Amino acid sequence: MSVKELPAWKALEQHAGTMRTTHLRDLFLQDTPIDALTDTPKTNNRFDTFSVSNESLLLDFSKQRITQTTLSLLKNLSKDCQLDSWKERLFSGDTINTSENRPALHTALRLPYNSQLSINNHNVVTDIQANLAHMSSMVARIHAGQWRGYSGLPIDTIVNIGVGGSDLGPLMACKALSDSQPPAGQQLKLHFVSSMDGSQIANLLDQLSPTTTLFIISSKSFTTIDTLSNANTARQWLKSASGVKDELLNRRHFIGISASLEKMSQWGIPEKSQLNFWDWTGGRYSLWSAIGLPIALRIGMTGFKEMLRGAHAMDEHFKNAPFEENLPVQLGMIGIWNINFLNIHAHAILPYDGRLSHLPAYLEQLEMESNGKSANRQGSSIDYHTCPILWGEIGPNAQHAFYQLLHQGTESVMCDFITSARRYDGFENSELQQQHQLSLANCLAQSRLLALGDSAIEGNDTAPIHKRYRGNQPSTTVLINELTPYSFGQLIALYEHKVFVQSVIWEVNPFDQWGVELGKKMATELLKPLLNEDTPAIFDSSTTGLLNSILSLQAQDKESKQ
Amino acid sequence: MKIVIWGLELTAWATAGMLAQSGNDVFIVNDTQITDPVTLMGSSISNEPGLKDLINQQFDKNNLQFIQSSSAALLSTHFISMNPAEFEHAQNTVSQIAKQGLEKVLIINQSHFGVGYTDKLQKILDIEKDQAVVYLAENISEGEALKNIRKPTSLTLGSTNEWASMMTRSLLRPFSSQLEQLLVMTPKEAEFAKLSITGMLALRIGYINELANLAEQLDVDIEVIKQSLGADPRIGHHYLAPGCGFGGNTFSQTIKGLANLLSEKRQSQLLDTVLQENEKQKEQPFRKLWRHYECDIHNLNIAIWGVSFKPGSAALDSAPSLKIISALTAQQANVHIHDPEALENIEKLYGGHPQVHTYRDKYEALNNADALLLLTEWPEYASPDCEEMKERMLTPLIIDGRNLFSKELLESLGFTYYGIGR
Repeated sequence: MSVKELPAWKALEQHAGTMRTTHLRDLFLQDTPIDALTDTPKTNNRFDTFSVSNESLLLDFSKQRITQTTLSLLKNLSKDCQLDSWKERLFSGDTINTSENRPALHTALRLPYNSQLSINNHNVVTDIQANLAHMSSMVARIHAGQWRGYSGLPIDTIVNIGVGGSDLGPLMACKALSDSQPPAGQQLKLHFVSSMDGSQIANLLDQLSPTTTLFIISSKSFTTIDTLSNANTARQWLKSASGVKDELLNRRHFIGISASLEKMSQWGIPEKSQLNFWDWTGGRYSLWSAIGLPIALRIGMTGFKEMLRGAHAMDEHFKNAPFEENLPVQLGMIGIWNINFLNIHAHAILPYDGRLSHLPAYLEQLEMESNGKSANRQGSSIDYHTCPILWGEIGPNAQHAFYQLLHQGTESVMCDFITSARRYDGFENSELQQQHQLSLANCLAQSRLLALGDSAIEGNDTAPIHKRYRGNQPSTTVLINELTPYSFGQLIALYEHKVFVQSVIWEVNPFDQWGVELGKKMATELLKPLLNEDTPAIFDSSTTGLLNSILSLQAQDKESKQ
Repeated sequence: MKIVIWGLELTAWATAGMLAQSGNDVFIVNDTQITDPVTLMGSSISNEPGLKDLINQQFDKNNLQFIQSSSAALLSTHFISMNPAEFEHAQNTVSQIAKQGLEKVLIINQSHFGVGYTDKLQKILDIEKDQAVVYLAENISEGEALKNIRKPTSLTLGSTNEWASMMTRSLLRPFSSQLEQLLVMTPKEAEFAKLSITGMLALRIGYINELANLAEQLDVDIEVIKQSLGADPRIGHHYLAPGCGFGGNTFSQTIKGLANLLSEKRQSQLLDTVLQENEKQKEQPFRKLWRHYECDIHNLNIAIWGVSFKPGSAALDSAPSLKIISALTAQQANVHIHDPEALENIEKLYGGHPQVHTYRDKYEALNNADALLLLTEWPEYASPDCEEMKERMLTPLIIDGRNLFSKELLESLGFTYYGIGR
């Protein structure tokens, strides 16, 4: 039976009939007016009713187009979809990634030391902790300046080569936690290289010193062509600069991180420099694993463990908190409401904190690669919407770009405003504090305007139509007390579980990504004509035409050089 | 004359001893409960050749005594020989003296607080009453402190007060037998001059080390180049010995002070670069070993001859040996150390470390060694018994961080030899 047949779904559809025509402005008008500056006694205002907090996170859903009825109907839907039993299956390591026949155990990566989680009669926590210890010793050695390159000079530059989950997670986290660096982390220069065409690595290598540069090669399969071609370029660069044999360069200048020890060894990375993670960690869920090595190098092992602790706290909260208080469940279910009942299919991620600049790209992968699917777990096509299109940008920058569409375009868009209350504590420059307040003011202003439209500004309702703001764009504000490794861990785990909640309702498997496979195969076929090799394949006229144009342009280039 | 010495640096003790020996009544300020001067000195200062005996002797003769700071402030001739970081203490001291309101007070500042700091101290005093602070640039190098004070060839005095200059000259009279020049200038100029000299020396060492590293890559012997450089009368031979970097607290701190001043006021990285390169240079012997053994030295036995930052001193302050021992132990090598003076200091730092061993006999450190690293050019290492060395070592490999040995001789005896820049 399709989820659409469930009574709870039908009830929500019916409820949506009235809610679709209800403006957020009117919902807020039902609040008793309160004076922000006086200590008004608790009333049933929307903020009190629809904001939920846990430890360092506060989620305000009051600017969502919901009422208490909406929430109780969503709760029924989650029950009808057996969300609780799915949660149980996730945490216990059940084989819920059915198309790849394995569990999804990113939550195990942040279990406390001494925990137990038995998979096929084996406690995986022992493996995880052993790997963390190995990672710890690498971080300590590099931070102490005792990881030596071929010349004997200490390594002071790290280049992370990886793509997708092996790039976005560490890159995003390193930027987000830039204020949490110990001195040893600050001294390291850290770079990320992902692009297949070599444009990043070519520019970077020009500026680096081969004697003091260490490459981290991160690839779950260790066959990712994007990553391995960058890694080969790096090794060639080291070789030309040093004249030293490969075996020695592999030993002193590369760390491999992969689920395939065998493939790492084949490439030449010695066992001591290998960090392992497991096939039950999806790439986009892997920053908690050894893939997080660049994060640990940046914020230290203590900071990294704090991040794991924050994520684990969110796991426990997700597992145990009732619907009414459960942050990821509410975030996920309200998303379902927007997508499937209010028909909103665009989702903007808007951090009001420059340190979270890579969060939109990270969430694009997390959400769209997990839930961008149209087949359910039973192998049938589904006839309802799943993951919307996600995009985003640092809020204040986006204000000068796509906010025009949010305020006056024809599309309904749901937004996540993400910001931290406290920043620049202990900084001497008071102007920075001022800048933070300015950013907060903008965050509050934009979500308010999006929700209420020009009714928020007195007198604007008589303005000409091109100056009018219709409002009624729903948003959630995620308010972080202060961006620390701990609260950051909570934040990312919040989104991971939100994605899981939605996958349960949509009946899709969020842990596979078959939609990225065929393109790789096709590229292998198309490489042949580009390398002037024979191929039996016949392409469509567009592809053939483009291929011929490229080859003839390249031939001209060669002739002119001769 | 009654003279008070403030500060517990090597300069303070050496100055106290020499002034007492030349007939003054010298009082060292000591507000602690410690009554034994050698204990108060601490081992790194009491190891200074001749100093311990001189101080004990002068205490016995009552020419030298301890005094409480409250009583010391009542006297009118003072030396301030403090650590560069103790400027606040110096200010408090001068304020205490100023409070007495005495006429004709002389304070001789020998500390490297930086440029302009003597003038800051002067401001606390009343120049109308001939309460004056002068700056006397000390020329002490560790290991030769007493000799440096006894017979300086040149002195730089920063003073703008005639009475104070006259008084200082007369105090220094007993030490003027070989004095070729006494330069008098403003205190600020004298402080700057002192910094400039130290900076110049650092630049020379930095330069010759850079040349040595280059010479190595071009397959040229730096020792030949060094001779040629020194023969040029515009350059001369001093401070042109390539090696594995300089250490020592005073020298390094003074240069750091000048480097900071240069980068702050002039955005110049000249001396910062010298300091950074010097830190790298300290590990040069390690790097040669590392490359020789193709980046894997774990479980190897590495002998080190000489760990003090220079011969004649037991001090390990900023010594290259410390960086090398850390690097070796981090790579799981075993380290076997000999030093004529500094073993006790090494044992304090590394006592009980499973990979660090110390030896009273230099040859014993070589048993089963996979390499010998010479890091301090103590005279007793200059002509070793090579046969015995070779017999004891597992691999006859010598890395000479001070270019002390004859490369030709060692190579002819079957040793593998690496120097600095040869």
